[in-house]
Amino acid sequence: MKKDKNIDELFRDKLLNYEQSPPAYILDNVLAGVAGARRNRKIIFWRVAGVAAALLLAFIAGWQINMHNDVITEPVVTNSRQNVAEKPIEVLPEVNMAESKSPVETQISESVMKSGTVNFQVAELSKENQISRIHTNSENAKVTNPKPIQLNQANESLVVAANGGSGMLEPIKSLFRQISLGTTNNDRKLEKIKTEDLLVVNHDKTIDQQIMEQNKQLMQAENQTKTKSRWLIGAQVSPEYNVSRSSHSQVYASNMLNASSNPVDLGGGISVEFKKGKRWSIQSGVYYSGMGQSSGNSNLTPGKDYALASTNRGSEYFNTNVSFDASNSKMLMNSTAGVIEFKTIPSGIVLGTNLEDKSLVSNAVVVSNARFIQNFEYIEIPLYLRYTLLDSKFDVEMMGGFSSNLLVGNQTFMESSTGKSKIGSTKDMESMSYSGTLGVGLKYGLSKRVYLNVEPRVKYFLNSLNSNASVNYKPYTVGVFTGLSYEF
Amino acid sequence: MLYHQFAPKMFGVCLRYAKDATEAEDNLQDGFIKVFANLKNFRHDGSLEGWIRRIMINVSLEKLRKQHLLYPVEDVAVYDTVNFSDDVLAKIAADDLMKLIQQLPPRYRMVFNLYVMEGYSHQEIAEEMSITQGTSKSNLARAREILKKKIQENYRELVTQNNNTA
Repeated sequence: MKKDKNIDELFRDKLLNYEQSPPAYILDNVLAGVAGARRNRKIIFWRVAGVAAALLLAFIAGWQINMHNDVITEPVVTNSRQNVAEKPIEVLPEVNMAESKSPVETQISESVMKSGTVNFQVAELSKENQISRIHTNSENAKVTNPKPIQLNQANESLVVAANGGSGMLEPIKSLFRQISLGTTNNDRKLEKIKTEDLLVVNHDKTIDQQIMEQNKQLMQAENQTKTKSRWLIGAQVSPEYNVSRSSHSQVYASNMLNASSNPVDLGGGISVEFKKGKRWSIQSGVYYSGMGQSSGNSNLTPGKDYALASTNRGSEYFNTNVSFDASNSKMLMNSTAGVIEFKTIPSGIVLGTNLEDKSLVSNAVVVSNARFIQNFEYIEIPLYLRYTLLDSKFDVEMMGGFSSNLLVGNQTFMESSTGKSKIGSTKDMESMSYSGTLGVGLKYGLSKRVYLNVEPRVKYFLNSLNSNASVNYKPYTVGVFTGLSYEF
Repeated sequence: MLYHQFAPKMFGVCLRYAKDATEAEDNLQDGFIKVFANLKNFRHDGSLEGWIRRIMINVSLEKLRKQHLLYPVEDVAVYDTVNFSDDVLAKIAADDLMKLIQQLPPRYRMVFNLYVMEGYSHQEIAEEMSITQGTSKSNLARAREILKKKIQENYRELVTQNNNTA
């Protein structure tokens, strides 16, 4: 045991406070890693937000489909009302019989069965109040039924039976209908009908007739509500001007191409918009978006080798070093958007190696007058919220939201005096990126349903398009989307 | 800066838990990324150095788990018990001792470090490494024997010289 302590103490004494300076590049890696971790947290946030938005959209779509299904049930109600109208004489005796003979709820249920009245609108109303008031105010009926709700339950059971399979969904449909009824101006009208108009009951009419009139009023109010919700589908195209916005680690930026110009690309796609009420709408769709940038010689001061070279090749001497990937021997060159990976060494360029400058001993330089053009193509799934500022012949709308952008194209071209050729791609591009969009829309009605849209938009990327820890590439895009939309 | 203050000492810790300098650098890097990411969670109820050291140890432990290196080691070799005088031990440099620790099998190295250097009990080591206390004791004994054997092999001259002197 003593000997164990002996060796333990040896190691403890000599190694417990052992210190050794780590290599300098560890700090760079740590800082890059911390930045990467922050970026990942942001990406996770936008992914969660994207899922939430998709769920919201799905919910609204489901809601609307459900609302649409409700319309199908309307003819059942209409027919039943017609049946009742054709048989007023048959109804009266039935109700009168209720005064003298048997329990009221049974008789009225029978009358409902005979007349074929299937009133699911009755079920929507505040049932006890409605039926109670009708009964109290109706002299003909003189219903003093202590259990008026039973009448209503009987009606509901008839409704389920009459509607067959669709009756199973009736409570859910009724719930959706009630949710929608609670939000708009027409809903307030509906409530008014329920609360105030019911007090003014025509005493001379039968119960069925009174219910029929209420149904009619309710349906009219509901139809008015439905006309406010509408869909628009459209197609837009836009020239897109991309502005590079990037930052890089010091080591990376010290040897990097200079992005000098941004070509104008084309974007566009199909949009689907759901408009609820007069002001607010929500929009999604599928868009194609092209982005690109052109890079040339670095603007850094040329080194010794470049100075020598300038006597021979002058401006053709490329002062951005290239390196070679040890794993696949591919040539690599830093650009503002990320590292360009060459498929092969392109024809038409000369590589200078074994440079006098010792700092470049493991690298090479490209001797060429070429420019490098990096093109990225995205499929964009947006979720925008729109608000109508001015509702007239020219609608003016504000729009904003965010999009998920799926990378579908990544190509790099080299352009020189001899022509343009594809040379490879940009490494480490994120397959999915997220962007925010702001815009102002002008809408002109060409006809009752067709609109011409002109919409300047600014789109900015929320995360770096390149996952390389040394590159933070977040371009933004300015475009004027022009197209047509159809309302239905 | 926090990094400059603690990096040399923590690199020393990582070297003890790693098989070589490259692995230690990786662990130091991952450890400091965690330190900076979780700095706001430091509750100031202990020393900052202790908290950072704990993160470095956890990173090393996680790395070993991921590499499935914590498998039981059946060390069939039986080492003779070797005793050294304090004079011999005092002449061995810290860098050499570090190399000896790095040559230990991963689990022995982990147990030896946690017990001898960090002062953990066998119960704490057993919980940390999901092994039994008996295994922890056995691994520690094996680690000591291997280290003694290595010292005897590598510093034969010193040992012989010392014995002759005695």
